[in-house]
Amino acid sequence: MLLDTTDFPDDHEIRADIIIVGAGAAGITMALDLIGSNQSVLLLESGGLEEEPGTQDLYAGAVVNARLHSPPDRYRQRRLGGTTTIWGGRCMPLDPIDFEVRDYVPASGWPITYTDVEPFYARANAICEAGAFAYTTDATFGPAALPIVAGFTSADFSTHRLERFSCPTNFAARYAHKLEGRHNVQVVLHANLTQIVLDENGTQVKQLLLRTLGGKRVAARGGCYVLATGGLETARLLLANRDRHPKGIGNQHDTVGRYYMCHVAGTIGAIQFTCPSSAVYRGYRMSPEGVYCRQRFALEESAQRREAIGNFIARLHHPRITDPAHRSAILSLLYLAKPLIPYEYQQRLHGTEGNSPGDWLRHVANVVAGPIEAASFTWHMARDRMLAERKFPSIIINSKANLYSIDFHAEQYPNAASRVLLDDTVDPLGMPRIKIDWRYLPEDVHTVRRALEILAKDFAASGVGQLHYDPALVETEITRYGAYGGHHIGTARMGSDPRSSVVDANCRLHAVHNLYIAGSAVFPTSSQANPTLTIVALALRLASHLRRTGAVR
Amino acid sequence: MIRERVVVYGAGSPLGRRVLDALRANSDTHALTADSLEREALRAAVREADVVINTTMGAAATISSAANRLFDALRAAAPAKRLVHVSSMTVYGSAIGKCNETTLPVDPIGKYAAAHIAAETGARGFSQAVILRPGCEYGPGCEAWSGRVAAWLAHRRIGDLGAGGDGCCNLVFIEDLVRAVLAARRAPAAAGRAFNIAMAGPPSWNEYLIAYAIALGATPVHRMTRRRWMLESRLLAPPLKVAELTIGRFPFIARLVPPPIPPSFRRLCTQEIRLDVTAAEEILGLQWTPLAAGLRAAASAFSD
Repeated sequence: MLLDTTDFPDDHEIRADIIIVGAGAAGITMALDLIGSNQSVLLLESGGLEEEPGTQDLYAGAVVNARLHSPPDRYRQRRLGGTTTIWGGRCMPLDPIDFEVRDYVPASGWPITYTDVEPFYARANAICEAGAFAYTTDATFGPAALPIVAGFTSADFSTHRLERFSCPTNFAARYAHKLEGRHNVQVVLHANLTQIVLDENGTQVKQLLLRTLGGKRVAARGGCYVLATGGLETARLLLANRDRHPKGIGNQHDTVGRYYMCHVAGTIGAIQFTCPSSAVYRGYRMSPEGVYCRQRFALEESAQRREAIGNFIARLHHPRITDPAHRSAILSLLYLAKPLIPYEYQQRLHGTEGNSPGDWLRHVANVVAGPIEAASFTWHMARDRMLAERKFPSIIINSKANLYSIDFHAEQYPNAASRVLLDDTVDPLGMPRIKIDWRYLPEDVHTVRRALEILAKDFAASGVGQLHYDPALVETEITRYGAYGGHHIGTARMGSDPRSSVVDANCRLHAVHNLYIAGSAVFPTSSQANPTLTIVALALRLASHLRRTGAVR
Repeated sequence: MIRERVVVYGAGSPLGRRVLDALRANSDTHALTADSLEREALRAAVREADVVINTTMGAAATISSAANRLFDALRAAAPAKRLVHVSSMTVYGSAIGKCNETTLPVDPIGKYAAAHIAAETGARGFSQAVILRPGCEYGPGCEAWSGRVAAWLAHRRIGDLGAGGDGCCNLVFIEDLVRAVLAARRAPAAAGRAFNIAMAGPPSWNEYLIAYAIALGATPVHRMTRRRWMLESRLLAPPLKVAELTIGRFPFIARLVPPPIPPSFRRLCTQEIRLDVTAAEEILGLQWTPLAAGLRAAASAFSD
């Protein structure tokens, strides 16, 4: 059933056994999984069916260092479907090592292991429409799978592991129809959570107070409550509710909002392959079930341990788009078309190069010099991305010169000083706005620097090509685009010790017995993997837990 | 030795042929088909029989007329004998959710479903009747849910349907349905009851279509856009049906006309009806062929 808070009378009360706040990847997944259970489910969404400027503005806030982090209302969507309405769709599970306590990664270690999450990954994959839970070339394509670079061998980097791509699936467009006709699930739009009301002891949620932007007030009362509002908003909601706990809910030990992680990512160097260009394949392959898949260079767990560095993967990439020296008609066409490209995908179209009129003319010249290439690319993007339901995931340009750069995506170490906190300003509902103080550590730079050294050595030792880059520029490249957009991790971390974590192994707050958190806020470490698939897997695990424990009013 | 005498009515259907073959493989059973018998001959055959099995499939009119003829013959026969009447899950109409055999039909109910409901009403007039309500029969020889689907998949006219394929695909492997018919003719506790016949834990239509396409080698599976799916199943279906009925008489050019994807198939692919098969498992003792094995057999039969 799809309802709207604006249609309720003032001071209306809604009741359900399980109340989920936030209809994004985690919230919708939980509601889907609880369809047909004997528990009633209320899924509250702040936004409507489409983006609404007034609602989206509730996400606005401050950033301590704007060079390092995007504004808080970017890469997030406050509407039915949440940020799945704009996500890129890259899926991969975390690796077993990500769950371990690693003595060289301070504050690492989950209270659960990979095997606790693994049973939920296959269904998560299906919900994300990423096909089978098969993340190796052998399992997906059989022994005939091609390598990324024929002849490349390495004891420290594997090339048989895949990333798979969702359509990308907009969870609202895809699953709202499944939620609408269910007797035990109510979805309520325009329900902004403004207060989590605790009992006298501060250990139980009594009810949630909701408001619309028009001023209507509604209460939601249930047996248990789940915050599925994303890594930033979850911290904001916990910190902003200070009636019973002066530092915020679950924040007795000053852990809420701390350890904020994204990923450490960038593009660097130039690798000139000496093998034939036909021996290099950096594009996508479609799995039998029709899912785009891509191989990457993944740093083996043994190498991470030996080197005492974080998790790391790399892909072959095209040259920097902004620099017209690449002489590619396609890349220049993209550069010139950047006003048409959504903000979240524009970042790499901005840079120090390419901004002068002369550079702009050189981009035009590149397009003029390659009209067939540009036209063919435009047709490909129109057919396979704009008009397709399963979209071609990204720009792939094979270099005739066999020259590529390296795109890397690495784990960010947990760091208590990297944090989300409350700003002094308030939003139109009277809620304190968010302030983001994202920071990285020298260890994060070291992970990338050392992994690149190993990769360069292995390219050379294999005799397939030379990777040239300036190690001194690693930090520059990491910070060129700032924190990786949209990955908001660790702000309500999972752990067994209430002094150093916010939720337990079942994602329940240590301090409040009927309040749970779904989403990447609970990840104690960030892995190299994009978080959505694991968010969905953990949401399924939490739904299973709630069904089993029979949370009722 | 006294052999069990079984009359199979509707032995021209894929199911009827298989049931007849299975019965004839038993030395203690004498099975015959009664499809072409005139009224009096049919009455005589039914009178002599221990068991009568109705496996008639086809359009609504065929279902109705076959049921009328057979039940007329049964009424003239005495004493009461076991009737195994193969009906359809369509008797639940537009119901969603888990349906057991007591679930009532939900509107809207199509002409085909109405014919099955009426036939079931007639069958229930016989105290020894056992009604079987199969889901979608698939496997070798099953044109509706394996043969034509294979052709659609091979020509990339269907595939991953997205939200259009979220419905529950209540498949039953054809050999499981044959076993259900054979069990129903003897199970003492089955008399006077209806049974849903479909695999337990069925896939969604998307899961079925993707797995079947992989088994057929029709890969990579195409993700249909909503526009294309509506075009195929709504706009193109009527003219293709007309073409099938007219040009289809001329085999020369009939093959040039692609088979229509009927709107009823599009609707079924979204219907979240799940057949509860507990009774069939407990009383008829049925076990279900795993989907992968069934798909291998179907793909092997239809991969050409």
